Amino acid sequence: MKFKESLKNTARDRVGLGWRRELAVGILSNLDRIDVVEVIADDLFNAPRDERRALRTLSAQTKVVLHGVSLGLASSAPVDVKLLEKTARLCEAVEPEYWSEHLAFVRGGGVEIGHLTAPPRTDDTIEGAAANLERARAVVGAAPLVENIATLIDPPGSDYDEIDWINRIIDSSDGDLLLDLHNLHANATNFGYDSIDFLKRLPAERIVAAHLAGGKWVEALGERRLLDDHLHDVPDPVYWLLTELAALTPHPLTVILERDGAYPPIEILLRQLDRAREAVAEGRSRQFEQIDQEAA
Amino acid sequence: MSAERFEAFLAKIYVDEASRERFLADPRGEAAKAGLSDQEIEALEKIDRAGLILTARSLLNKRRRPVKK
Repeated sequence: MKFKESLKNTARDRVGLGWRRELAVGILSNLDRIDVVEVIADDLFNAPRDERRALRTLSAQTKVVLHGVSLGLASSAPVDVKLLEKTARLCEAVEPEYWSEHLAFVRGGGVEIGHLTAPPRTDDTIEGAAANLERARAVVGAAPLVENIATLIDPPGSDYDEIDWINRIIDSSDGDLLLDLHNLHANATNFGYDSIDFLKRLPAERIVAAHLAGGKWVEALGERRLLDDHLHDVPDPVYWLLTELAALTPHPLTVILERDGAYPPIEILLRQLDRAREAVAEGRSRQFEQIDQEAA
Repeated sequence: MSAERFEAFLAKIYVDEASRERFLADPRGEAAKAGLSDQEIEALEKIDRAGLILTARSLLNKRRRPVKK
């Protein structure tokens, strides 16, 4: 697989939107305000030919990246090679700048969970994820960016906290990090850790992309937790984290707003992209000031 | 192999309501019945119950609509 260009060589920070059928008209009418479009790979595995053709047309008009949701890479079980082969064929057809997947498990013992869940954070899942990332790299031709996930449950049977578990997986693989800032915010809120400290403990040079989204509060047994549902606007703390991230990472960032339903008018989403640009610019400005101070 | 068995057990209690109810009523018994190790059984006895209920509820809602992540 040949990616259009190396992600770390992209000239500047970019802000874009997740492709959803319901947003198609709004996206296509506003490509001058959307730097990059993220397409869900799994939606296209069995898509009719005309939909794939439409995607190729989109790819000719703007930057496209692919995002997978069903591989279940962070598992002690091997990833399904057939799914990897489908991903490889899609990457060949679309030629995205990069592809990404989650550090999640989505099936076990023949049971399909149907969505992303946090595996036990153990040596077994670290080794399993590293092996699966290597399988993915071998079949697809490039390692995916790996994304942190949100979880409502403190994964049972864990030996590591989230930051150490993620860092060990990154250390043992080629893939860089797609940092989902709402997932980070939600987990930090739900499990009582400092999101900025978490961010600073990640290897900044391995973070090349970010996701933004919103969520809502849910409750059970008298406990309130923040659910990452992609149905609400991006909250302020996520923009603040984006500024912190832009102040830290040396590489250009690709920032994607994810919205999966309760769609507002496209102008509302475009304003969130504008705010994301401002947040990145503020972070970059801080980083440049610091570089100037150190040089002085 | 035990790690895969543990993940399979989690997958089942996350998505199958009857399995989850049995587990919440008797975590040790259900985990032992699944052939999990003593360490895994102990971990499941201390499970984050609110998190389990919220996770199961969230997964059910998400399976009802096509969601990207």
